[in-house]
Amino acid sequence: MDLITIVFLVYTFIALYFFFLFLLIYLQNKENFFYYPKAKKQYSLSIVVPCYNEEEDIGGTIESLLNVGYKGLKKIIVVDDCSTDNSFKIMQEYARRYSKVMAVQTPKNTGNAAGAKNYGAKFVKTELIGFTDADSYPDKGSVNKMVGFFNDLQVGAVTSTVLVKNRNKFIEKLQSIEYKVIKFSRKLLEFIDSIYVTPGPLAVYRRKAFDSVGRFDEENLTEDIEIVWNLQMHNWKIKMCVPSRVYSVAPSKIKVWLSQRNRWNMGGLQTIFKYRKHALRGKGMLGTFILPFFVLSWLLGLFGISILVYRLLRELIVHYLSTRYSIGAQTAILTLREINLTPHVLVFLGITLFLFGLLFTLIALSNVKEKQYKRIGPLTLGFYLIFYLLAYPIILIISLTKFLKRKRTW
Amino acid sequence: MKILQNKKRVFWEALLLTLIIFILGMLIGAGFERGKLDEVEQFYTKSEILFMDIFALNERINSDDTCEVLIDSNMQLADNIYEEAFVLEKYEDAGKITEGLKLAHRKYDMLRTYLWINTIDISNKCKGEFNTVVYLYEYDTEDLAVKATQTVWSRVLFNLKQEKGNDIVLIPLAVDSNLVSLDVLLKDFEISRYPVVIIDEKYVVKEVTSVDDLINYLD
Repeated sequence: MDLITIVFLVYTFIALYFFFLFLLIYLQNKENFFYYPKAKKQYSLSIVVPCYNEEEDIGGTIESLLNVGYKGLKKIIVVDDCSTDNSFKIMQEYARRYSKVMAVQTPKNTGNAAGAKNYGAKFVKTELIGFTDADSYPDKGSVNKMVGFFNDLQVGAVTSTVLVKNRNKFIEKLQSIEYKVIKFSRKLLEFIDSIYVTPGPLAVYRRKAFDSVGRFDEENLTEDIEIVWNLQMHNWKIKMCVPSRVYSVAPSKIKVWLSQRNRWNMGGLQTIFKYRKHALRGKGMLGTFILPFFVLSWLLGLFGISILVYRLLRELIVHYLSTRYSIGAQTAILTLREINLTPHVLVFLGITLFLFGLLFTLIALSNVKEKQYKRIGPLTLGFYLIFYLLAYPIILIISLTKFLKRKRTW
Repeated sequence: MKILQNKKRVFWEALLLTLIIFILGMLIGAGFERGKLDEVEQFYTKSEILFMDIFALNERINSDDTCEVLIDSNMQLADNIYEEAFVLEKYEDAGKITEGLKLAHRKYDMLRTYLWINTIDISNKCKGEFNTVVYLYEYDTEDLAVKATQTVWSRVLFNLKQEKGNDIVLIPLAVDSNLVSLDVLLKDFEISRYPVVIIDEKYVVKEVTSVDDLINYLD
């Protein structure tokens, strides 16, 4: 057995393992997938909205929050991080019209979402503190469904279902699939106490927990990942409320999309490094599963792409040389005889993995019913499964390079 | 509510399920490769029988008529083995988890070495109108330039065979098959690097060249 075959088999084994792990978790917890507890009391809540140059969306976000329908919502604190557009004027206008809305501005641009969020958190006096990105639109009733999880005094944060709002362009449609798969996986991870992120579009924290871990890490590019690891480390439970939905504006341009992914990856790396000492230690899932899972994803992605590039380069060199020699020997550069269509076991394994991936994606998609959007076509789904996911490891390399060069900008 | 039940057990259950499916997949894969090997073994047995027949005939040469039959049979065997080599090559590429097809390749190399020896014998005993073209290559090379050269040599020799048909006995042989008989046979040629083509045991062509140039070496 050659090295490439061994590598392929190891990857297959790991992929199969995670497929079955997620499938079993799903099957064992299917009935509780959409469960959310009824709140025992009306928890007081403030929602902080960090904003930087979001004049197009900030008004809509505030409107959504005003109409979210939770009676315990005391304040909507909109934090302008010294925008250069009209965002702050729009906020002030809303603050004049609605007593619940409070518009504040950071003394100077903090340079990241964490800075603006922490600044806004200073004004919060309520039991719970929520965060919504300035380009996100929580559904009516979404917060009501989340707060019941705080009946359990060990619950430190509750996250929600994040979906893509804009789905006209192809790249937006691809992200709409991705978001649904992420949401599905995140809920499955909740069943093994392993949620690793409370995404910015809508998350609610117990203020005591939030303060006890020192709020968001302003050095981290993905403060919404870092805080969850911090909460996990301090034994706080993280929950996900699937029926609670928030629609977020996804990048419409490749460049913006790439930059967002780089930020996620680099933030992930920062978090891994920060908590590396906890790997395989302690009773909690942070050290025993989340951290190793993250590290393994990185290693597999980087090693996989390296092997792929190495193989491709070798093939290219052989092809180039044989073409050159063929011209010298006045013979054909490719003959039908050389095309080998004999299937082998690795092809079968690859097809099996692809089908399992398809099945997982279809289960994830079937868990989100949306009347207002068209169904995803097979072409988009096929492209997502083959090409979009293949881009992940390539972005990992870009992110790692930037990380090592310390180009950590938000 | 039993939401958080069996948290740790699910990891072991998934591992068990993965092991079952993975081992099952490997067994099916090995069975699939075994099927291909059986096919190759059948080809080999047929060629081996044909070769033993020719070998026996070679021992009994006593007239020009016998020579003609011997040359024709030898040519047919060489062509069969050459065609089977393509099938074997494709199956070998597809053989990923078992080593059986590699062993089959070695067996074929042994048969081809025999064939070469027999062909030398025949050309000494009979005045046949044929040329022997032996292509010596490396089976396990990692050198990309060697790989590329071998690819082109295969194409050139295939075209040569197409053009000259029964006028040449074409024998491709892997030199790294650890066959003592082949090593001894090659000693006289003092070849330091492969691939090379030996024509009628007289010419050693080291650089990949065109079909027309190769024809010039043929009598």
